[in-house]
Amino acid sequence: MTDMAVVIVVENLVKRYGKLAAVSGISFEVQKGEVFGLLGENGAGKTTTLEIIEGLRRPTSGIVKVLGHDVAREMSQIKTRIGVQLQSSAYYSYLTLREILELFGSFYPKYLPADKLLKSVNLLEKAKSYVTQLSGGQRQRFSIVASLVNDPQIVFLDEPTTGLDPLARRNLWELIAQIKSQGKTIVLTTHYMEEAELLCDRVAIMDKGKIIALDKTHKLVEQASKPFKVSFISDRTDTVASQLKKIGTLTELGGKTDHFEITLATAASLHKALDLIRTLQPASLTVTRASLEDVFIEKTGKTITEEENAPVRR
Amino acid sequence: MRLFVANLKLLFRNRQLLFWSLAFPLIFTAIFGLFFGKDVGGGSVALVNNSKTELASSLETALEKSDLFSVRTESSVESAKKLIKKNLASTIVEIPATFGQNTPTAAKTIKIIFDPAAQQTSAVVTVFVDKFLTGVNYKLQNAKPIYSLDVEKTVEGTFTYFDFVLIGLIGMALMNSNIQSLAINMARYREDKILKRITTTPLPTWKFIVAEVAAHLVLNIIQVAVIIATGVYLFGGHVGNNIGLLFVLSLLGAVLFQLIGFVIASATKTASAAEGMSTAITIPMMFLSGVFFPIDQLPHWIFSIVSYLPLSPLLRMMREGALENLSPWSTPMNLIIVFAWILVALGFAVWRFRLTEE
Repeated sequence: MTDMAVVIVVENLVKRYGKLAAVSGISFEVQKGEVFGLLGENGAGKTTTLEIIEGLRRPTSGIVKVLGHDVAREMSQIKTRIGVQLQSSAYYSYLTLREILELFGSFYPKYLPADKLLKSVNLLEKAKSYVTQLSGGQRQRFSIVASLVNDPQIVFLDEPTTGLDPLARRNLWELIAQIKSQGKTIVLTTHYMEEAELLCDRVAIMDKGKIIALDKTHKLVEQASKPFKVSFISDRTDTVASQLKKIGTLTELGGKTDHFEITLATAASLHKALDLIRTLQPASLTVTRASLEDVFIEKTGKTITEEENAPVRR
Repeated sequence: MRLFVANLKLLFRNRQLLFWSLAFPLIFTAIFGLFFGKDVGGGSVALVNNSKTELASSLETALEKSDLFSVRTESSVESAKKLIKKNLASTIVEIPATFGQNTPTAAKTIKIIFDPAAQQTSAVVTVFVDKFLTGVNYKLQNAKPIYSLDVEKTVEGTFTYFDFVLIGLIGMALMNSNIQSLAINMARYREDKILKRITTTPLPTWKFIVAEVAAHLVLNIIQVAVIIATGVYLFGGHVGNNIGLLFVLSLLGAVLFQLIGFVIASATKTASAAEGMSTAITIPMMFLSGVFFPIDQLPHWIFSIVSYLPLSPLLRMMREGALENLSPWSTPMNLIIVFAWILVALGFAVWRFRLTEE
């Protein structure tokens, strides 16, 4: 009862499959009402961690408490108060959306009316459709709203936007913000940097089963060793290139001609760089701050690609 | 309860499943019914009676009264032969015009012409006519037969090959729909993470399984009723008087096959693997457990193996009940084998079947 605001506690969590450690000793807490993101590439251990908290997998060792209850012993008390959306999951093919929501609702002591839920995600007119008749974005919206059927306090979303087109993804971001505004706590996994940056109050970056960074999203971004970034287009860089290279990291962007990017550590060097670049009369000049992706690359020494080349753990 | 209703909807909206569990066995029933159901031609006798004597008409009456075959009266041998060609009769009994007349030139023989394809009927007819003539001969000579036969049937009532197959088809339908449906559904639910999703809710696993099993049993009752109704009313099959017992045995079999479905679902990783494995189990069992022909005609060593397959004792009990009016307790071995299978399948399913992986 020390801190009512903490809804999830994970302490020294380890999950081994034979000799392979999927999760090797991670600890974190999730506060009530926040959006907490687990960021990492495929196989980093995000889903395993999430499924242990959801009670779907048993931890090898460590303590996991949800809403004050231990997942190892008191899962039944937890289940009525959490909502789970599984990664790339499907629902019954021969039940309508309304029937599925009513069915899943009936598993809980109390549940929200199906039509109200469908209306909240603009799917009311599809109430009598089968899931197979929905578009990718609609399916994902349905899958999320199905996790809200018991009006849970904590919602778990496993890669909610993977595989969606940009517009559908933006729709889902709005939906997630809307769920947060109802006072619910959201724990989500993603491998989209901009998604984590936009949605999450706090982010834990996972790599090879470990948390390598955990902080408020903006603070993580500030951890970048070179937080300033200048992008410009010019075909006369020869004159200043050597000077620029002395104050920051200059890269010519692959694929496009005459596109350059320089990352800088201090405000002073930023000004110096801008002065130099202005002498080139660049066709385009933009100043941005480093993104979560830059931090991720710095911390892990690699980039996240959408390619599912990492082994899928089942 | 809502899950049970939802499961019913899922079953009855799945057209592929409905085809395999209802239409498929019905097609078989119809095919076997058309071939072996109501006696169309095989047991028919065409009688050409050219004589008007008392003896001739008494033979005619005797033939007609016999329930071994049906009799059609024809005016000439030619028209009777046409019936054989059309498969409407298999044997011709020709009584010559002068047969039975009290004159020296009167014909003394009756001619039997038969279709070699229907030797059984012709043999029965031949014996029948021969016996009739023997009786007449004794009477004429004022002699009495000294030795006689006492013929007794092993079975109460008569049953045909179609009746035999009809029970087999009920067993086949129960086996196919339950093994296939359970195995494929469970594997697909796992693939689609529906099972995992259900694990995240407070619903206890046993309720999930009970709802699934109960919905299938409802489908099974409809299945059995439809097959019996079609076989009996459309194709003149017989299933005996103890319909209740037949249903009880059907449901017992259904539970066994559902458990086998769960076993397959827990032993396979994907829905297509589950489909393949259930086909690999059901198709051989269809032929080796005596759906279509009695397995005791198989070589002894094969029979001693296949008679222990799950479907075999079930069909034996169902046939004994329906065709011979025997209780399942009359051969306890059948019940023992079925319950042994149920225990084995249940044990494996409890051991291996999980809604979610670790």
